[in-house]
Amino acid sequence: MKLPEQLLHKNRVSFVPYIWVGLVLIILPLFLSPYLLYLAAKILIFAIFAMGLNLILGYTGLVSMGHAAFFGTAVYAVAFLTVHYGIGSFWLVALSGTLGAVFMALLFGLFIVHLSGAYFLLITLGISQLLFSIVWKWRALTGGDDGLPGIPRPDLGLPLPMGNDTYFYYFVFLIFIGSFLILYKLIDSPFGHALVGIRENEPRMKILGYNTWWYKYVSFIIGGGFGGVAGVLYAYLIGIAYPGDIGLMASVMVLFMVILGSPGTLACPLIGASLLITLEYIVSTFTAERWPLILGVAFVLVSMYFRGGIGIYLVRYWRKVKVLHGIPKS
Amino acid sequence: MDFWVTIILMGLSFSVLLFLLSSGLSLIFGFMNVLNLTHGGYYLIGSYIGVSIYKWTGNFLLAILAGAAVAGIIGVGMERGFLRHLPGQLLDQVILTMGFLFIFTNLAKWIWGPVPQMAAPPSLFARSLHIGAYSVSVYHLVVIFAGLIVAIVLWFFQEKTRFGAIIRAGIDNQEMIMAIGINFKLVCSWVFCLGTVIAGVSGVIGLPLLGAYLESGSEILLYAIIVVIIGGLGSMQGALAGSFLIGIIHSFSKAFFPPLAFFMMYLLVIIILLVKPSGLFGKRS
Repeated sequence: MKLPEQLLHKNRVSFVPYIWVGLVLIILPLFLSPYLLYLAAKILIFAIFAMGLNLILGYTGLVSMGHAAFFGTAVYAVAFLTVHYGIGSFWLVALSGTLGAVFMALLFGLFIVHLSGAYFLLITLGISQLLFSIVWKWRALTGGDDGLPGIPRPDLGLPLPMGNDTYFYYFVFLIFIGSFLILYKLIDSPFGHALVGIRENEPRMKILGYNTWWYKYVSFIIGGGFGGVAGVLYAYLIGIAYPGDIGLMASVMVLFMVILGSPGTLACPLIGASLLITLEYIVSTFTAERWPLILGVAFVLVSMYFRGGIGIYLVRYWRKVKVLHGIPKS
Repeated sequence: MDFWVTIILMGLSFSVLLFLLSSGLSLIFGFMNVLNLTHGGYYLIGSYIGVSIYKWTGNFLLAILAGAAVAGIIGVGMERGFLRHLPGQLLDQVILTMGFLFIFTNLAKWIWGPVPQMAAPPSLFARSLHIGAYSVSVYHLVVIFAGLIVAIVLWFFQEKTRFGAIIRAGIDNQEMIMAIGINFKLVCSWVFCLGTVIAGVSGVIGLPLLGAYLESGSEILLYAIIVVIIGGLGSMQGALAGSFLIGIIHSFSKAFFPPLAFFMMYLLVIIILLVKPSGLFGKRS
């Protein structure tokens, strides 16, 4: 028997804005040129990538500057399996890629998840760069800085060829929705709440009896898994594995995406990914040379003046809009 | 035998560069709780300003002073204008400092172009010394010697002067020194200035060894990071021990198994993490 307050109490999360966004994403292919559609798919893929980091950073509070290690591992795994070994089955390759990323998280997480803020950050930075240097130097296996090209679009066994950009976009979109729902289920569960507790006050959680190391470790692994899924999709999207996808640059980009989108919120990954990739596209059309400069200035501006990220502003704006239209606050 | 001596000397001179850089990084973190990922960028600034002044005037000492001054001024500007407003917020500091690193690197590319610039050692030292049957580059010896002098001066400074005592106290307990009346903000600016000046000097000294190139910012930052992980954040001795180890390992690995150079260093890092997570000489937490 529910108390009256509980009956009146609406869901903490109103799904309406998410449904709007979802609809926009669904009808996008009708309006976009093939290149913009490729960008849209890239945004969705990086949103999945950022979801993983959002879990580790936004919800658990571990500042990781090495998230691209998992992403890049999956990208190269896909590249090896399809180019070197010619394995055609998408599901086998995708599973191996994701498991590769998860394995990396399992391995490294074991040694580093207990570390405090600054040390954890530096180590993850180092891990990402370590993998980068391995990939860069081992030309025979990875092609070094030439990259490893030749990844074909996946064969899903459906009558819809993935070489068609629109079909591939919808495929990525489906995986994105799936990842989002999984993440939501994780966040809105005792596990997710425990993570937030660890972020806010770890000693207190320990006193309450939580094995905080274990929670941090599991969230690190799951975050790595999301990164792996994103990496698999990205390899198929661009068809080439490149060291830049596994190193510091990629880790910093996804970190910035999470920060832009307000870490610790559900909307964060998509907002951050769309903002950053759109910004990169706009700047590249004018001046590709100065992109790092503009990016650096963006970093400085966001860290100084938009500390919570831009996502919070969008959420507040949405709420304001709803109040103006007479819709009760949720 | 010549070969071994050369490797050791090259390793030690690289250690000196690393020590100069990582002592600043370590000090800034220990005292101000700021992770200054821009630090490699100050090396870059020092090396580019230094190479320009050196090419313009032919005076190496002037180049060192110029590099140090510019790095110091920019450093204080960054600290007072930006870092000061982000006390203790790791994430924001990291993004800010990385942003500045990108800005410095891209500005250097804009002003000096993408081609690396080499500089010969000052003519006084551009010789080889013949000790018995071996021939060694004098400049390497000079760098190592200079590094030792700097290490001794820093040690003296930290142990014997009042300012050094303030720094040691601040590393130990920030709130306490504020409570006894030390102008914490002023000391922070000085500490940051000191760190960046040393980084700038390191950049100029490194010119005959590594040259001035765009990737130097992030590359040397990565090495400095490994050094402070191994040696411990906030400790001078740690920076010294760490840079010594890394310099030697780096030099030997490059001579014998180049691809394994990074591996060896990360292996060391993992061992340290397992055995003593806060680094060899690091402060607790």
